Amino acid sequence: MIDEYTEAAIQRLLTEHGGLAEQGIKVIRRERVLVLCGEVESRQRRDEILRLVHENFPDVPLSVDIGVTRASAPTEAEELP
Amino acid sequence: MIRVAAVGDVHMDQDVVGRFRPALERLPEQADVLLLAGDLTRHGTESEARCVAAEFGGLGVPVVAVLGNHDHHCDQVPQVVKVLTDAGIAVLEGDSTVVDTPGGTLGIAGAKGFGGGFAGRCASEFGEPEMKAFVRTTSVTAEQLGAALRDLDCDTRVALTHYAPVPDTLAGEPPEIYPFLGSYLLGQAIDSAPTALAVHGHAHAGTERGTTPGGVRVRNVAHPVIKQAYSVFHLG
Repeated sequence: MIDEYTEAAIQRLLTEHGGLAEQGIKVIRRERVLVLCGEVESRQRRDEILRLVHENFPDVPLSVDIGVTRASAPTEAEELP
Repeated sequence: MIRVAAVGDVHMDQDVVGRFRPALERLPEQADVLLLAGDLTRHGTESEARCVAAEFGGLGVPVVAVLGNHDHHCDQVPQVVKVLTDAGIAVLEGDSTVVDTPGGTLGIAGAKGFGGGFAGRCASEFGEPEMKAFVRTTSVTAEQLGAALRDLDCDTRVALTHYAPVPDTLAGEPPEIYPFLGSYLLGQAIDSAPTALAVHGHAHAGTERGTTPGGVRVRNVAHPVIKQAYSVFHLG
């Protein structure tokens, strides 16, 4: 069972751990797993989130849905007359 | 027409250097100026600022930035600002700059801004010293932003902040954290001058479009929101 205190502790770890500093990851308690959802700027950051959450909360089953934000040039401009 | 490119929340560090550069090499074909809407770094260190300078310096168009909350985390703001300024990136905080473009002069007033929430659900300057200091921080920065906008002598005005001036562009974020994402005082400041566009970042789960109560168009350009290296707006 994942309780609210664990959810809060993981949310704070994501922001306050020196190696993470991620405020944009949603922590969602589902019936059987804790879902981490959002976007980061590199694969290394996603891997580090996984590693540190596993290390600090080894008994929490995780589902990770974190993407790396695309950084391609825009194909269109927005017209604001 | 003035072409404005903007992105926020790029959170640079060594692991991100080079990701934006291929797109940025094309930026001078698409825009007259690039605005950076804060959270340029992960923790606000001088070394991370050097990554920002490497990625966003020397683009061939003026680059104008405000800092974000991440850029304050390690208490190295003067060093961060110096690294960025040395790379030719103008950093605004309660002040403004004017850029000459083929479409006329573009005035940009910028401030990081701060939280407090929005009309009907906002914090008040009352009670504990910490609470009063929180709200006063926002009101001071909003007053500076408004004065900087009103004092601009230019063809077209743009407001640049990190925190949001309206709740519209926060849709998608949990409503409980809106007071930590922006303040109506910033919107009121923007509405005090004939502003063509307001851009901000900070709200990674927010949405792109909104307007102030006075009708100024607001765009959330946080990188996870726009999902591209930068957005481009054609003004006028």
